[in-house]
Amino acid sequence: MVLTMEKIQDTFDPKPRKFIVWLFVVSSTIMFGGFTSYYLVFAASKGKGHGLVLPDAFIYSTLVIIASSITLVLASKAMRKLNFSLQRNMLWLTVILAVVFGVMQFNAWSSMVRTGATLVGNNAAISFIYVVSGLHLLHIIGGVGLIINALVGSYRNISPAKSNYRMEIASIFWHFIDILWIYLYVFLLLNR
Amino acid sequence: MSTIALHDEHNHDHADHGHHKETLISKYIFSMDHKMIAKQFLITGIIMAVIAMGLSILFRIQLAWPDQSFPFLETFLGKWAEGGRIKSDFYLALVTIHGTIMVFFVLTAGLSGTFSNLLIPLQIGARDMASPFLNMLSYWFFFMACVIMMSSFFIQTGPASGGWTVYPPLSVVAKAMPGSGMGMTLWLISMVLFVASSLMGGINYVSTILNMRTKGMDLWKMPLPIWAFFLTAILGILSFPVLVAGVVLMVFDRSFGTSFYLSDIVMGTDILPNEGGSPILWQHLFWFLGHPEVYIVIMPALGISSEVISVNSRKPIFGYHAMVYSLIGITVLSFIVWGHHMFVTGMNPLLGGVFMITTLIIAVPSAVKTFNYLATLWRGNIRFTPAMLFAIGLVSFFISGGLTGIFLGNASLDINLHDTYFVVAHFHLVMGSAAIFGMLAGVYHWFPRMFGRMMNAKLGYLHFWLTFIAAYLVFFPLHFLGLDGVPRRYYAFTEFEFMKKWLTVNIFVTWAAIMAALAQVAFLFNFFYSIFKGKVAPQNPWEANTLEWTAPVKHIHGNWPGEIPTVYRWPYDYSKPGHDADFIPQTVPFSQTMSSNLPHDFEGNAEAEKIQQDWELANPVEENKG
Repeated sequence: MVLTMEKIQDTFDPKPRKFIVWLFVVSSTIMFGGFTSYYLVFAASKGKGHGLVLPDAFIYSTLVIIASSITLVLASKAMRKLNFSLQRNMLWLTVILAVVFGVMQFNAWSSMVRTGATLVGNNAAISFIYVVSGLHLLHIIGGVGLIINALVGSYRNISPAKSNYRMEIASIFWHFIDILWIYLYVFLLLNR
Repeated sequence: MSTIALHDEHNHDHADHGHHKETLISKYIFSMDHKMIAKQFLITGIIMAVIAMGLSILFRIQLAWPDQSFPFLETFLGKWAEGGRIKSDFYLALVTIHGTIMVFFVLTAGLSGTFSNLLIPLQIGARDMASPFLNMLSYWFFFMACVIMMSSFFIQTGPASGGWTVYPPLSVVAKAMPGSGMGMTLWLISMVLFVASSLMGGINYVSTILNMRTKGMDLWKMPLPIWAFFLTAILGILSFPVLVAGVVLMVFDRSFGTSFYLSDIVMGTDILPNEGGSPILWQHLFWFLGHPEVYIVIMPALGISSEVISVNSRKPIFGYHAMVYSLIGITVLSFIVWGHHMFVTGMNPLLGGVFMITTLIIAVPSAVKTFNYLATLWRGNIRFTPAMLFAIGLVSFFISGGLTGIFLGNASLDINLHDTYFVVAHFHLVMGSAAIFGMLAGVYHWFPRMFGRMMNAKLGYLHFWLTFIAAYLVFFPLHFLGLDGVPRRYYAFTEFEFMKKWLTVNIFVTWAAIMAALAQVAFLFNFFYSIFKGKVAPQNPWEANTLEWTAPVKHIHGNWPGEIPTVYRWPYDYSKPGHDADFIPQTVPFSQTMSSNLPHDFEGNAEAEKIQQDWELANPVEENKG
C-alpha cells in the first residue's frame, strides 16, 4: 500500500504545476486590470489623469526588460541544445538586466519626486504610478527568484525533467511580467 | 463491449518498504495530505463559526434589550460593556467582525477549503492536489488570517467597526472611530493573508481538476460538487485579485497619506489635506469581488446538495447538464452585477438599469437549479438522513431568500430597501442559512469519509429541526422591519420613535437566535464525540456511486492502494431500470450491467451498441416478471 506513494514521487508530472503558474499569471493580470480600471474610472470622473511627461528612465527600463526577455529565450534555447554553460551565462545576464531594471525604476521615481510629482499628493493618478510600478517591481523580485531557482537547477545535478520544468516556469512568469510592464507603460503614456 | 476493465496486476504488490516515518507534526500539523488539510479547514471553520455565532448573540442581546443591564457582559467584555451594556462602538465592531468571519472565514474557507480539499482528489480519482505544498500553505495562511482577525479583540481600540465592506472614509481615516485605527490595520493584514490563502487554494483546485482526473473521468462524468468547486475556484481567481488591488490602494491611503479614496473630509473643525479621491471607487473595486464572493459562498453548497439530494432520493439528479450550465451561467453573470449594491450612490440611472437587468437574469439559472432539486425529489425513494434534511433545508432557504432578491434587484425598490433589515433578512436566508445548511449537509454526508465513523442520526435530526425552525424565526420577521424602513447596523431601537414598535419583535428574534445557538450544541457534541466514539462506518454507508466511497475507510496517503480506479459512467445511475441494485458505482463497466444499459449510455459508440443489441436479442426481457 505504501508503494503507491513512493511511485508518485518518482514520476514527476510538470503539467499540473505549470498550470498553476499560468493561473497565477491570470490572477495577477486581473489585479493589474483592477488597478488600471480604477485609474480609468478615476480619470473619467475627475476629467484629469496624471498629466506628467513620464521620466526617460521608464523608456530605458522598458528596453532593459525587453532585452532580459531575449536573454531568457536564448537561455532556454541553449538548454535545449544541451549547451549548459551558455544557458547559465544567459540566465546570469537576465538576472543582471533585472537588477538594472530595478535601478532604473528607482531612478524614474526619484526624477518624478524631483519634479514635484510625489507619491503623497492631491492627484491620486500620480500616486497610482508609484503604486503600480512598485507592485510590478515586487513581481520582478519574484521573477528573479524563479530565475535563480532555474540557475540552481542548472548547477546542481537534478533530473532533466525537473530542470526543464524550472526553466519553463521561470520563462512563463518572466515573459508575463515583461509584457505586463509594457502594458502598464503604454497605459500610462496613453492616459495622461 | 467497448469498455473492458483491465487490472494491472503488477501494481498490487504490497511492498512494505519505504515507510517514510510520519511524525505528529508532519501528520497533524504541517500535513500535505489533502484529507488532513480538509479536516484542518473544517475544524478551524467550525471554531470560527462558533465565535461568529457568539458575537451575533451579543449584538442580538443589545438589540432586544437596549436599555437593560446584563452584569455578566461586563464580566466578559470589561470596558466594552461598562455597566452591563454593550457600548455603541463595540456593537459596530461585533457586527463587522461577525460579517467578516461568516462570509470569509466560515463560508469561503470553511466551506470551499474543507470540501474542495476533501472531495476534489477523491471524486475525480487523484492521489492528491496538484501542489500539496501550496495546499498546506493555503491552510496556514488562512489560520494566520484567523488569528490576526481575532487578535483585534485584544487591543485597546477594539476591532474594525466600519462594516464587513469597510467603506471609506470610515475605514481609511484612522481617527474616524476607535475601530478605524489599529483594528482596521489588523483587518487589512488579515484579509491580505486570507486572499493569498484563497488564491493558493483556488489555483490548486482548478489545476487539479483540469489535469489530474483518473482514466475515463471526462468533464461530463464529474459529480456536481466538483463542477461547483471548479467554478467557485475560477470565480475566486478572477475576483479576489481585484480586492487585493482595492486593499493595496486603501493601505496607501491609510499609511502613506495618498488620496485614492479620500476627498474633502472635515472632522470636527479639522480639514483633512486629502483631495481628489473618491470613496465610490472603493465600492466598485470591493463589489467587483464582493458580488462574486456571495456565489463563492453559495455555489459549493449548491453542488454539495445536488449530490446529497440525488443519493438520498435514489434518483439521478434531474437535468445534470442544466445544473452545470446554470452554474456556469451564475459564474459569468456574477461578474456583471456588482452595481446593484450601489444603486443609491448616485449612479447614472441608465447604468442602474443595466445592472438591474443582469441581476434579474441571475434568477433564471437559480430557478433552473431550484426546480431541478424539486424534480429530483419528486417521486424519489427518499431517505431522510440528516444530510438529506439539511440539503432540503438549503433548497427551502434558497427559495425563500432568493425571492426577495428579485425585490432588491429592482433599482427603484432598492431606493427604499437599501441598507434596511430587508437586505439583512434577504442575504441571511439566501446565502447565510442556505450556505450553512449546504455545509452541514456536507459534514453529515462525508463525515464517514473524513473520520471513518458515523455521526449520530438522532442528534442530527434534533440539530436540523431546531436550526431550521429557529433560522426562519430569526430572519423572517426582519423582512417586515426592513419594509418599515428600519435601517441595519443601528445601535438602539429606543432612540427613534418609529423604530420603538419593533422592539418586541427584536426580543422574539433574539430568543429565536438563542435557540438556534443552543441547537448547535447538539451538532458540536455529535461532531466531536463521533470522531472518537461514533459507530465505525461501512465502506459505502449511503450506497453512493462516486469514487470517494471506493477508497479504503482507513486513510492512506495517496487515497487508493494500487491503481486508481477507472471510471466508466456518470455518477448518477440510481434506480436504473433493469439493474438489481438501486445504484451503480462509477467504476462498474457497462459490460457488467447489460440488463440496464440504455442506448445513450454508449455515446454513439456503434460497436458497443451492436454488442448491446446482440445481447438483448439473446436475453429477451421476461414478461409478467414478479
